[in-house]
Amino acid sequence: MSQATAKKNGVWATIWEYMTTVDHKKIAILYLIAGGFFFVLGGIEAMLIRIQLAVPNNDFLSAGLFNEVITMHGTTMIFLAAMPLLFAFMNATVPLQIGARDVAFPFLNSLGVWLFIFGGIFLNLSWFLGGAPDAGWTSYASLSIASPGHGVDFYALGLQVSGAGTLISGINFVTTIITMRAPGMTYMRMPLMTWTTLVAGVLIVFAFPPLTVGLFLLIFDRMFGSNFFIVEAGGNTIIWEHLFWIFGHPEVYILILPAFGIFSEIFSTFARKRLFGYSAMVFATVLIGFFGFMVWAHHMFTVGLGPTANAIFALATMAIAVPTGIKIFNWIFTIWGGSIEFTTPMLYALAFIPSFVMGGVTGIMQAVAPADYQYHDSYFIVAHFHYVIVGGVVFALLAGLHYYWPLMFATMLSEKLGKITFWLFFIGFHMTFLIQHFLGLWGMPRRVFTYLDGQGYNAANMISSLGAGLMALGVIVLVINIIITVAKNQKVGRDPWGDGRTLEWSLPLPVPYYNFAQIPLVRGLDAFWIEKKEGNGEMLPAESLDDFHMPNNSIIPFVMSLGLFVASFGALYFASGKEWAIDAVADLPVRPWAFWVLVIGLAITFISMITRSFKDDLGYYVTKEEVLRDLEEQERGAK
Amino acid sequence: MAELEAKSMTDTQLRNLRRQRTKEMRLQLTGFSFMIFLTFMAFGMVALDFNATFIMGIVMLFAFIQVVLQFYYFMHMKDKGHEFAKLFMVVGMFFAIAFCVTFIYIVWIGQPI
Ligand code: HEM
Ligand SMILES: [Cu+2]
Repeated sequence: MSQATAKKNGVWATIWEYMTTVDHKKIAILYLIAGGFFFVLGGIEAMLIRIQLAVPNNDFLSAGLFNEVITMHGTTMIFLAAMPLLFAFMNATVPLQIGARDVAFPFLNSLGVWLFIFGGIFLNLSWFLGGAPDAGWTSYASLSIASPGHGVDFYALGLQVSGAGTLISGINFVTTIITMRAPGMTYMRMPLMTWTTLVAGVLIVFAFPPLTVGLFLLIFDRMFGSNFFIVEAGGNTIIWEHLFWIFGHPEVYILILPAFGIFSEIFSTFARKRLFGYSAMVFATVLIGFFGFMVWAHHMFTVGLGPTANAIFALATMAIAVPTGIKIFNWIFTIWGGSIEFTTPMLYALAFIPSFVMGGVTGIMQAVAPADYQYHDSYFIVAHFHYVIVGGVVFALLAGLHYYWPLMFATMLSEKLGKITFWLFFIGFHMTFLIQHFLGLWGMPRRVFTYLDGQGYNAANMISSLGAGLMALGVIVLVINIIITVAKNQKVGRDPWGDGRTLEWSLPLPVPYYNFAQIPLVRGLDAFWIEKKEGNGEMLPAESLDDFHMPNNSIIPFVMSLGLFVASFGALYFASGKEWAIDAVADLPVRPWAFWVLVIGLAITFISMITRSFKDDLGYYVTKEEVLRDLEEQERGAK
Repeated sequence: MAELEAKSMTDTQLRNLRRQRTKEMRLQLTGFSFMIFLTFMAFGMVALDFNATFIMGIVMLFAFIQVVLQFYYFMHMKDKGHEFAKLFMVVGMFFAIAFCVTFIYIVWIGQPI
């Protein structure tokens, strides 16, 4: 039971608590730590890339190593940094925003985070076990089938494991938001963070299965001797491209929608105004989610699908700009005439608007299929997606980190250092990526490890690398800020920003492990704000004070994920040196133990699943007396 | 998280519930026998060597009817409280069909259009 173990107070007790926790607030912290770690790792890889490209004819990284670094940079940033960090904020806020005591499936929540962590570790172990994947984050089959060694196998298996975790978490959030809302929290009263989480969850449910299928086909080809992508044997590599982008385009919306959610909260909080055009915002979110599935082939204009197919996908792509534009205008109207407070999160939010719009505009340019023949595979594309992903998603993550830090840890990050981080990061970001548009238009290709002197690329690349250095400085200041804040440990009380509007800010800090002593009654959009303005500043309870039910901790999710982690090694080495294997791994030494490792790993997973199904774990009750004691203590603390 | 509370029912409530359940049961059985009948017809047509194109069309139609019955009667899509499940399935089918059509046209047939 959560509080019983935590009271032992040793380091090991804390670690054990986190390994077994099913509390969404602690899982959020796990996501934050693991995602933050991978973010730094991906950042180091980015710095290596920019050092290599800073000057012409550089041999800081060899061509092969460069391919590994760019592949791992992209894969890590998308799957292991951006998405988990968004999950951190979703876990930290959504159950609180809808007035629930936990998510719908706390056990699955824990399973999701451990699958992600083990998948991420597996992928990164490739660095030490014979070389990282080198076929790009898109891993096009024509490259990935030919890539020698086990690098691509690490990619396929690692993403399969962590992808399963993402899918599970997606289902969990959809169910939570549909079924666990407090009385009065109708759909059209849900804060935008909750809405965007819901739509992103739906996108995960629909978009991850195609990736799973594609990865399985790749795994079968590379590890078990099938021929889905092997052209000599009648396979077709284009199938991978379709499957990947059917997943891949929705994926970018899985990333950006929660980012929109975070910014919507920040805008209305620090402009001290209700979000302008709330229902249009909701409508636009849903519409973007729907359109997101109809446009995947805009990544494949140059494949030769034909002019009709290209035209259809080009038009569908441009259509997405309409709901996105609606959102941009609504944010502008939200701050219009508001009494704006320039906190760190608000700075990121204000910087996000022009930065993201620039990325959107280049997106529309690329959506013009004939023009895309020029842009495709050039640095222009690199500039586009960094403008949307860094200017949109990463800004949101940094803003969210400052904004939700008190909710997660009951302390405040330093505003002064936060603003220094912001300016370093903001200037560095534009310095790095603005110039890359021009590099692309001048003809510099992406994913090439160096360039010749005298092509006119030198100065621009140097500027770009210097900008990257500024961003790295910004992140270092952020890390210092976090260390100082944790060391000082100066607790803050309820509603630390002073202008909280939504339910999560109505809770005492640190948030009790059961969240709400009594499930609140929601009387409208911005539930807490309404009580501040029209009530006495306290949420009205929707139930009488009574015992309630909470789930028990469990180590099973950890063991289950560990089993898949072990099994992945078996699958990975299975084809080594076998005569039926593809050329890429046929010359490697035979690993006779691989099959048994696979079997043992799967056995661990299945046995833990069986244990889980046969062991009746009914959870426990939090008693009325304990809740009353907590409430009294809070009151004493407040005085 | 709601605890299961064993509330006792009045006699009328109990009778109503029974009647409802009987009706439900009858519907399930009717649907089930209808589906068996359709399967039987499909096999029968093949056994009797009907025209192949004709069989293909009819079997596809039967299959469609069976899927609808399956969803609505056996998987309770007709009941209240399944709006989201219904929405998800319809949207999912829409996407799946769109993906299949593109795959057939631009990957399998392979002619640029
Ligand atoms: C107005 C909205 C957008 C439009 C019209 C758009 C359009 C496009 C097009 C046409 C491409 C393919 C270009 C090529 O490879 O030749 C592309 C690439 C890309 N876009 Fe966007 N985009 C939009 C928003 C976004 C957002 C919001 C994100 C992420 C948060 C994003 C992430 C990416 C990525 C990662 C790639 C490159 C994939 C790769 O080849 O590695 N885009 N975009
Ligand atoms: Cu796209």
